[in-house]
Amino acid sequence: MQKSSGLERASYIYTNRLQVARELKMQGEKFGGYLCCYVPVEMLSAAGYVPFRIIGDMNEPITNADAYLPSVMCPFYRSCLDLGLKGKYDFLDGLVSPHACDAAERVGLVWRSYFKYPFTFYLDIPHTVHASALVFFKQQLAHLRKGLEEYTGLKITDNDLKKQIKLFNRQRELVRQLYHLRKVEPPPVSGTEVLQLAVSLMGLPVQEGNLLAEEVIKEVKTRKMKPSKMKGRVLVWGCLIDNTAITSLIEDCGLEVVMDDTAIGSRTFGHDVELTEDPLDGLALRYLEKIVCPRTFRETGKNRANDLENRFSYLRKIVKDWHIDGIYMNLIRNCDIHGYEVPEVRYFFEEIGMPVLVIEQDYSTAALAPLRTRFQAFAESIEANR
Amino acid sequence: MEEKKKKRSSAKTLQTAREAGYFGKKMLANTRMAVDEGRPVAWAMVEWWLGATIAKAMGVELVFPENYGAFCAASRTAEPNLDYSESDGFPSTLCGYARNCLGYARKLKENNFVIPAESTGGGMPKPDFLLACGAACDARYKWFQALGRYMDVPVWLLEFPQTGSKEYFLPGNKEENISYMVEELRAFVSFLEDLLGRKMNWDGLEERLDILFKTHELAYKVDLMRRTVPSPAVCTDFWALMIPHLYLPDDLEALAFYQRVYDEVKYKVDNKIGAIPNEKYRMMFSELPPWHTLGFFDEVAERHGVAFVFESWNYHVPPPLLEDEKKGITDPLELIARYSYHKFHHAAPAAKEYEIDPILFTAPYLEYVRDYQVDGLMFHPLMSCRPATYTLMHVRNLMLERFKVPSLVIEGDIVDLRVFNEEEALAKFDAFIETMDYHRELRKKEGLHW
Ligand code: SF4
Ligand code: SF4
Repeated sequence: MQKSSGLERASYIYTNRLQVARELKMQGEKFGGYLCCYVPVEMLSAAGYVPFRIIGDMNEPITNADAYLPSVMCPFYRSCLDLGLKGKYDFLDGLVSPHACDAAERVGLVWRSYFKYPFTFYLDIPHTVHASALVFFKQQLAHLRKGLEEYTGLKITDNDLKKQIKLFNRQRELVRQLYHLRKVEPPPVSGTEVLQLAVSLMGLPVQEGNLLAEEVIKEVKTRKMKPSKMKGRVLVWGCLIDNTAITSLIEDCGLEVVMDDTAIGSRTFGHDVELTEDPLDGLALRYLEKIVCPRTFRETGKNRANDLENRFSYLRKIVKDWHIDGIYMNLIRNCDIHGYEVPEVRYFFEEIGMPVLVIEQDYSTAALAPLRTRFQAFAESIEANR
Repeated sequence: MEEKKKKRSSAKTLQTAREAGYFGKKMLANTRMAVDEGRPVAWAMVEWWLGATIAKAMGVELVFPENYGAFCAASRTAEPNLDYSESDGFPSTLCGYARNCLGYARKLKENNFVIPAESTGGGMPKPDFLLACGAACDARYKWFQALGRYMDVPVWLLEFPQTGSKEYFLPGNKEENISYMVEELRAFVSFLEDLLGRKMNWDGLEERLDILFKTHELAYKVDLMRRTVPSPAVCTDFWALMIPHLYLPDDLEALAFYQRVYDEVKYKVDNKIGAIPNEKYRMMFSELPPWHTLGFFDEVAERHGVAFVFESWNYHVPPPLLEDEKKGITDPLELIARYSYHKFHHAAPAAKEYEIDPILFTAPYLEYVRDYQVDGLMFHPLMSCRPATYTLMHVRNLMLERFKVPSLVIEGDIVDLRVFNEEEALAKFDAFIETMDYHRELRKKEGLHW
């Protein structure tokens, strides 16, 4: 691997993550592939795998997947399988797929019908956060643990899990520090740089990832910042962004991405696992209840006002703490989970005085160009109202 | 031209199928009557008999917006609702039934919750709560949550765990799934008791369950009889007949009706009367049909002697629960949980045998194709229902690979009639006949039994 450090290294790993994984594999690492932010990486790591988040590639036209998945499916997950079919994930030693949303569920299951990895597990995830859902989810985690033990022949003790929890909590904490550094104006680190780090971390052994994150923070803290020429600070809400083509486009149009509520970002790094006596309790709580993705149903209460407050009040706090000027709602076409949420979230943001831009995009860099004018217009309007 | 227009809705081959639409209208009328009489009403998702019977046992009348969507589509009145929901910011890629309902709900709200006069089938009245479901499809709860925009009513989500084929056989896993479902059902009963201010009528629930199982047993026997050559009923019959067993299985009138369905089908089997004259090809359809153009199936029967002998796994009743599984169960909630879980996982052994996933929408077809001696499949990828579309390509691959049964893919939609090109579909069909002939020979050579 290239001997760089900090942001430069994060950028290198982001760009070459498959190659980096293959190099690590040659050095003896095993890779446990997983989909979405709902798979407890601690568990994979405790079993001796480097947890490797499977993502798509917006630069790669989807071709092979056409014979397996329909075009009305979310193109992000179609892209994931497409890369799998093209052999790009051939270094994986196993796959854990969650019932996060329909697309995550089906693609994981279709995937393992064709690729017979030595170890696979389908993790069912309840839709509610009722007490019984937590009990059930904990049982699911116990099955995952047992499956990993049986396959690897290793015993995963509570202490092993606790050790991993601490390591990943440290990682999450470091990423959150970076997020906090972006509360100031001008932010010393860009949305693009944070995304590069986030993607890198999701393919490295945890300790190596933590060292990288520490280097990045150190570097960012000592950066000399010039006053920003940016037109406004935005929060990105919605479907995941795994490619800097989008953050760069937004930044090129004069907007600073200072915070996100997406699955490769604050939903992944936002909350720690509590160190409970039985580590599965902490894991169940964190992965089921604390991650706030609209895929999880929260009680509506008796009326709409209650419901909106239950579901979205955390966004009000983000807007305030990060001094947000506008919201970009990122919707990948055919993502039902976010699609149904759009009118209400939009309403909520508008009620608290936020200008909102909603874009339904096709998860393809080739299709990004026409969006430029929309981001430019949005930047102008934000600047005018600042 | 007139002739063509008429043909778009299907003639249906069973007398009972021609009568089944009554049950859809009955549901709508019952809910409106309930509102007039001050009784509680809910809108419910199709939830595979998990919660509707419980709610009904507590005196709630239910109507199913998915069914209403199909109704509006079949009568070609969905478009204005779709446009209305889109103008409120819902993406046009969302489920057609959902957009129809969201548009309808917005109109209802704007009319102070008085049903607009022009509403299809007399319209759905404002509910006291919404009964969402976690099975098979995200729209089944996200859509109802989104209705909060128009209605200040609570949503209850009926949880429905989904198990992978390998995981189904993990020691303890199935029982944990069932216990979880039972706990969730208990919470649902408490929710209802709080909301309605009355106690659960447990005896009433048991009576209803008894009727449900009887109706379903008949429906299952009808399915089995459809294995006969020539097939006594076809898909267009089923799509009408499914209304009573899917939505009203615990209704005595539905049970009596299903006895008649059974008798009619049995008569045809005993007398070797096929649903279509001169059955030459036996096909299967997956998953949801073009409601607006069902006459298409009459047309291919007429042109090519194609009988659609089975279809739409999702809407069929499962095989009955084994006696062993029912033994000793005294809690009706457990019985309900077991049965619903079984609906989604009854094909787990087939999934294991063929080492495939998922169980839902996929594995059952592996059994059907053999049992119903299928020559070809018609897949109908939908623009707006992803769950019924996700696995079609996958099943197509499996069918060809494992059974040498070819598939025909014709795109369309449940609601949006603009995306279904009937002429093109018929032309594709004409060409497909040869493919089926070819594969018939291939199967023979490989020693497959049909
Ligand atoms: S919708 Fe939620 S669950 Fe599905 S991929 Fe996106 S973040 Fe994951
Ligand atoms: S998307 Fe399909 S399965 Fe889901 S609610 Fe709509 S029609 Fe039903």
